[in-house]
Amino acid sequence: MAVAARALMLPAVVEELLSEMAAAARDGAPIPDEHLLSLKFVFGSSAVQALDLVDRQSVTLISSPSGRRVYQVLGSSGRTYVCLASCHYCSCPAFAFSVLRKGDSLLCKHLLAVYLSQVMRTCQQLSVSDKQLTDVLLMEKTQEAS
Amino acid sequence: MAETLRRVLNLGSAAGPGEENTAEAEPPLLLLGGHGSGKTALLFAAALEAAGEGRGPVLFLTRRPLQRLPRGIGAALEPLRLQKIRFQYPPSTCELLRLLCSAHETRGPAPSLLLLDGLEEYLAEDPGSQEAAYLAALLLDTAAHFSHRAGSGRGCGLIVALQTQEEGDSATALQLALLQRYFPAQCWLQPDAPGPGQHCLRACLEPGGLGARAEWRVTFRQDGEMTVTPWPTQAGDTSLHKGSSSGGQP
Repeated sequence: MAVAARALMLPAVVEELLSEMAAAARDGAPIPDEHLLSLKFVFGSSAVQALDLVDRQSVTLISSPSGRRVYQVLGSSGRTYVCLASCHYCSCPAFAFSVLRKGDSLLCKHLLAVYLSQVMRTCQQLSVSDKQLTDVLLMEKTQEAS
Repeated sequence: MAETLRRVLNLGSAAGPGEENTAEAEPPLLLLGGHGSGKTALLFAAALEAAGEGRGPVLFLTRRPLQRLPRGIGAALEPLRLQKIRFQYPPSTCELLRLLCSAHETRGPAPSLLLLDGLEEYLAEDPGSQEAAYLAALLLDTAAHFSHRAGSGRGCGLIVALQTQEEGDSATALQLALLQRYFPAQCWLQPDAPGPGQHCLRACLEPGGLGARAEWRVTFRQDGEMTVTPWPTQAGDTSLHKGSSSGGQP
């Protein structure tokens, strides 16, 4: 499902790269150098930061009995950001600025970290109640203010 | 749902039954037009169409209760269909967000179509780009969740109506460009020269690269009936695109 949504907003070449990585990934295996190079080429410094986030187990997939899911990423500053699972959205200021307003980035490092952990199939998982999931989704609002 | 809207618009033109469409994973659709351009009526027609398909209820979100039933395509306005449309009236952006974020808490049959009328009113409260993106993304996420709940072979469509200004400023243009990133398919409604006692519109559907662009003439007669005919194609007719510049290229 995320693939179709990603395709709406990512160029085909990025889609291909992520698919290739997914196909080549084995649990626990490091990313092949050629993919690392491609990632850095496409995403610049965000790639390194995103990989770092993945390595540090900073990405958590939160789900509830309803089946709805959302991602939470622990940023380098210690703040957590919420990334939607079905389409491009992250609550971090960089997303609002570089991706939405200026349009010179495709993704923020948190969203890239989410996609990388999907591709590499490594992700913390957390089950919460339906009501708690609502709160996570709503938490966005309070995080934006500061 | 571009296909649902297309079917609605084709209904009026007595086109043939058309191909079987699996409604899965169709792109969300943004319905755009000025004040009084027929967006609510079209949304309502889409709601009736989807309700008649028997795949699940239709969720219609709007700020204020409809004063009267919008002019519709007469025959579709049957009580059985109307019963399947659930209206909710979130009075503020906050309430709308809460409704979307908690959509997974209610069980029961998942809606087959999610409609929102008057997005501009909700965006006016918080015009920043992050707020607009958050609302758009949540709408998509909610529809995605309904699709997931409905199971394979049944998607949940999403159509959102946004009122546009004649002369927008750069801020509204930016906001529109942002929304177009989340809604790759758009349908533009423009007023057309009226005939006697009629209100005419030109509807231009751009399915975001997943189908051909198509145009219709929508006519509201004085008795409220809405008829739809394909827009007559003329050689060199390229005039429509003033408003839909940037986002629509596949």
